[in-house]
Amino acid sequence: MVTLDVRPQLLDTLSALRDRVAAARFPLPLAGAPRARANRDELLAQLDDYLVPRLREPDAPLLAVVGGSTGAGKSTLVNSLVGRRVSEAGVLRPTTRTPVLVCHPEDHHWFSGMRVLPALTRVWVPQQEPGDGLLPPGDDPARVLRIETAESVPPGLALLDAPDIDSLVAENRILAAELLCAADIWIMVTTAARYADAVPWHLLRTAKEYDATLVTVLDRVPHQVVSEVSRQYGALLTKAGLGAVPRFTVPELPESAWGGGLLPATAVAPLRTWLVHQVQEPGARQQVMARTAYGVLDSLKSRMPELAGAAAAQYAAALRLTSAVDGAYDSEHARVKARLNGGAVLAGDALKRWRAFPLDCTAGELLDALAGSLAALLLCAVTAADERIDQAWRREPAAGAPELAERDPSLKSAEHRIGLAVRRWRRELEEFADDEVRQLDRNVAPDPEIVAALVATVLLGGRRARSAGEGLAERLGAHGALRLRDRAGRLLGEYLDKVMHTERERRLAPLDALDVQPEPQAELIAALSVLQKER
Amino acid sequence: MTAVADQDHTEHVDRTGFVASRKGGASADEQENGHVTERGSGVTGAEEGTSGKPVKGLPGKGPAGDDDREGGHTRVTGEQEPQARTEDHVRVRAGREQRTDVTGATDVQAPAEHDAPRPPASDDPYARVADEDAAADSGDPSEVWDDGLIARRVNEGDEAAQLAAVEMHRSAARSATTLAYDGPLRSRLDALRELVGLSRTRLDSRTLAEAGRVLDEAATRRKLSGQHTVVAIAGATGSGKSQLFNTLAGVAISETGVRRPTTSSPIACSWSDGAAPLIDRLGIPGRLRRRPLLSPEAEAQLSGLVLIDLPDHDSAAVAHREQVDRVLKLVDAVIWVVDPEKYADAVLHERYLRPLAGHAEVMFVILNQTDRLPGDSAHQVLDDLRRLLDEDGIALGEYGEPGATVLPLSALTGDGVPELREMLGQFVAERGAAARRVSADVDAAAAGLRPVYATGRRTGLSEEARDEFSARLADAVGATAAGEAAERAWLRNANRACGTPWLRLWRWYQDRRDTPSGRFPVRTQVDEEATARQRVEQAVRTVSDQASAGLPAPWAQAVREAAVRGSQGLSEALDELATQAALPSGRPPRPGWWPAAVLVQACMTLLQVVGGLWLVGQIVGVMAPNLGVPVLLMVAGIVGGPLVEWGCRMTARGPSRRYGLEAERRLREAAAGCGRARVLDPVAAELLRYREVREQYGQVVKVGVG
Repeated sequence: MVTLDVRPQLLDTLSALRDRVAAARFPLPLAGAPRARANRDELLAQLDDYLVPRLREPDAPLLAVVGGSTGAGKSTLVNSLVGRRVSEAGVLRPTTRTPVLVCHPEDHHWFSGMRVLPALTRVWVPQQEPGDGLLPPGDDPARVLRIETAESVPPGLALLDAPDIDSLVAENRILAAELLCAADIWIMVTTAARYADAVPWHLLRTAKEYDATLVTVLDRVPHQVVSEVSRQYGALLTKAGLGAVPRFTVPELPESAWGGGLLPATAVAPLRTWLVHQVQEPGARQQVMARTAYGVLDSLKSRMPELAGAAAAQYAAALRLTSAVDGAYDSEHARVKARLNGGAVLAGDALKRWRAFPLDCTAGELLDALAGSLAALLLCAVTAADERIDQAWRREPAAGAPELAERDPSLKSAEHRIGLAVRRWRRELEEFADDEVRQLDRNVAPDPEIVAALVATVLLGGRRARSAGEGLAERLGAHGALRLRDRAGRLLGEYLDKVMHTERERRLAPLDALDVQPEPQAELIAALSVLQKER
Repeated sequence: MTAVADQDHTEHVDRTGFVASRKGGASADEQENGHVTERGSGVTGAEEGTSGKPVKGLPGKGPAGDDDREGGHTRVTGEQEPQARTEDHVRVRAGREQRTDVTGATDVQAPAEHDAPRPPASDDPYARVADEDAAADSGDPSEVWDDGLIARRVNEGDEAAQLAAVEMHRSAARSATTLAYDGPLRSRLDALRELVGLSRTRLDSRTLAEAGRVLDEAATRRKLSGQHTVVAIAGATGSGKSQLFNTLAGVAISETGVRRPTTSSPIACSWSDGAAPLIDRLGIPGRLRRRPLLSPEAEAQLSGLVLIDLPDHDSAAVAHREQVDRVLKLVDAVIWVVDPEKYADAVLHERYLRPLAGHAEVMFVILNQTDRLPGDSAHQVLDDLRRLLDEDGIALGEYGEPGATVLPLSALTGDGVPELREMLGQFVAERGAAARRVSADVDAAAAGLRPVYATGRRTGLSEEARDEFSARLADAVGATAAGEAAERAWLRNANRACGTPWLRLWRWYQDRRDTPSGRFPVRTQVDEEATARQRVEQAVRTVSDQASAGLPAPWAQAVREAAVRGSQGLSEALDELATQAALPSGRPPRPGWWPAAVLVQACMTLLQVVGGLWLVGQIVGVMAPNLGVPVLLMVAGIVGGPLVEWGCRMTARGPSRRYGLEAERRLREAAAGCGRARVLDPVAAELLRYREVREQYGQVVKVGVG
């Protein structure tokens, strides 16, 4: 198990899995979504920065990342290990804003390319020159990796000075986590004043979870209390199940200093020896590498299902939102149909016109009133549906997505669209009436507009408009009247369906644009199981 | 005195302990002994007092005991009128301490025992209390009125007053000893209380919880001593909180060490007496209450200070953080201790300093462990710390502006401690911390409530919106159509009435021919559901949307609900109203000139007939041939008839328009009235309620700014 050869099959499945992970998206603001997004990014970073390059090139130098809280003395430690000031140390926090990677000159080619940490821009600083002012202007300092070379670093080892894991600058924190995920060896630095802090312990637990090769350094321990603090810290580690982790203690020395001097070699000698041993002893090196790599592979077993679960939750939430829209529009559709059949359109204005027709009201006016009333009915149905959707969505946390929240001022445009549809319906109705009248071979043909008004009244008036049916039959004959009525009725049904459908689609459009699909869940799990088989 | 005397002892105990230790520098155990012996001698002293030489102004005091307080008080003030006011102060001060001690003490002594030793024992310490209070305040002449300067003078000069003070300590006036908020703050608190009360039905309790808590805490704090300032020392693990605490107290009270986290529960230390209720409030048990090492000048400087040493807030021990969070809500001021290693920790800034940015005035930020920094880097770190605090939004109290105080200090070497001591002394002497803290709390609560009270948009129902609503309702009942129909019907009737008889004849014939079909008799039956339901629904929805636009969500919801409630039954009511308000059905009224017109038309027809007959007569030869007159008559009739008809139609136009408009207006008004009563008024009431609350909220916020 402890061998690490290049295995193309495994790499293939791994990159397939990586693509799946990269494709997973969590746009709906559910309770677990930010966490899932962070997990996804972290996993992606770990795959890109560490696992894939490591499995592809097992011979690459080991990367030891020095991480810890602000002011723990990470930079001082790195400087002391190297024996030269490569990383700025100072009293102001946070000190290290740009991560610094130190390696042997021979190993430089491993890191100058984009093999590991492809997301970071490389800045190569020539030897013997302090690295100030060499950052490309305008570049985000957090997304830059400075590479230093030093002869004193053993070949096959690279040290990376990471920013603070609990920095006030959020990007620094994220970057620090990302860098740690890229490490073969995690060097966790803490101090006598800090060893009980909560944040580093989270990181230690993470390291344990990933089964990474971990070393802890207890820095800045005043001489008087070395033994006691060390004992305390050891007890805490044991309690956390990390008792077997190699532990190094660096005393607080005047040189260590907030001024950024170098610690004497003796202070860091044990750590250095340990690191050199890990690098130069082939067996130990294999074990270090394999342990971390397989730790990450193993961690996929729990992390992938978690992502898949989050994806499923997203889909479920999207489904709930969609069904709320569908339910609202369906019920409003049914309601508006029932009202149409009940003759609700022939009320108010239209009813008054109808009562006055034909003595005090022209057919055109009656048609106008009916069309207006129909448009009002449809608009009412649509707004009622929207209101129901709003109510239902208010209970859904997922509806808080900014894409869903910002709605076009739709009432006006909906009114416009419905008005347009109703006018078109009216025109078609008039054409039908025209056709029907022209087919009649009577000497006195009835006015097509009157026929249209009567048929509209029959369709929209329900029981109330029985006399309109009589008038129509009289003008067109029973047969013609029935035919016209059926055609117009079908037309009305079509237009009704069309209007409701358009409005529903309009309402669903932003949700569809988010593109929350059920597939990612299955794909993630599938990629994981393929990987498991491949191992 | 050795510091580790328990606060739970009464005043008397502490004082006697003090006396004892001043004599002997005794340890805690010895002090306990001293206390006992002192008490014993006190009893004998009391016996002496009652037996023969009572001090002037307290006759019968000793034996009378607790029940006699009020009596004793009035008697004394009566006797010593000129010094009444100053005595009052002295009495108040002494009495406060006594009262709070008695109530706060856990081991209350039996009344007799409690009272008996008082006169002789008090002679020394009580005078001293007043004296010290005065000394502490003497630096601030503006405080003279309220505090001990006068009292001190009196004390120095007038033994009688002093004795009165000694005697009066029992009759404590409750109100004066407790904390008093100034006017603006009080009105803001009242406004907040009112606000919470007004919005209870609209907002869920979770939203109001923070405001309620602030009110409760403000009320609780108000009942407690206003002469004390509770200051907590908070900070990360290992930053030296306990060290600083001990340095300030002058004795190792709190355990310090390298083991992290060191302090696991808060420890209180009170510089003067009477703070027990305050410490009770923090939930600190008696065994964790301490007294500082009292040197006279230290006590004078920090009198009224209650210092709390908190556990850390950033260690892996979650319970510590919970304790810190709990206590931080209750204290008057906080000293944040940071060290060069941890001053930029995200936990400190993001979890504590940023949310508490409004509390800058009751905040000290101490950069501890400066001894670990070489050279001038302490200044650099301090500047960086200031920058971070500034980024957190904390106002820094530089150049005399109100804000947080930032100080470098080394608790280990003592560098900077005197400065802190002085600042604390000044801070405590001002006695404003509690009120400022409450004020900042109110600010924070108000800011938290902002989304549910204010949106920054204009709210209310505009006149146009009301008119639009009425217009929509009128549409729903079909007012326009009804008016037009009425107008046309009137006009039609007028035409029919004033038309030429020939036209009438023709119409009648037409009617007869068409009667079976094609003729739509004007239906007079009442329709059910004559009102367009969809239009009513839409009108209500629109108006409620307009009314709730710009309102915070809960209030918008309330407005919407009010509108929906009002709209229930609105359609039915409109149906009914429409039938009532509609013009009486059947034939429209006939104006007076119609008969005249009919008469004229008849005359015209008559003329035609006469002319025709005449002509016929001539043709037949019955009459003398005279072509001119009959033709003239006929032409007059033939032309005159339509002319009259036309004239009538012109004349009828005006009245018919009026008639139609009247019909429309009646419907319109009825609909509008119904809508106003059922929907607009409830909505307006709801808006008014919101505006009231908004004003109340403005009151809470505004005064704070001013």
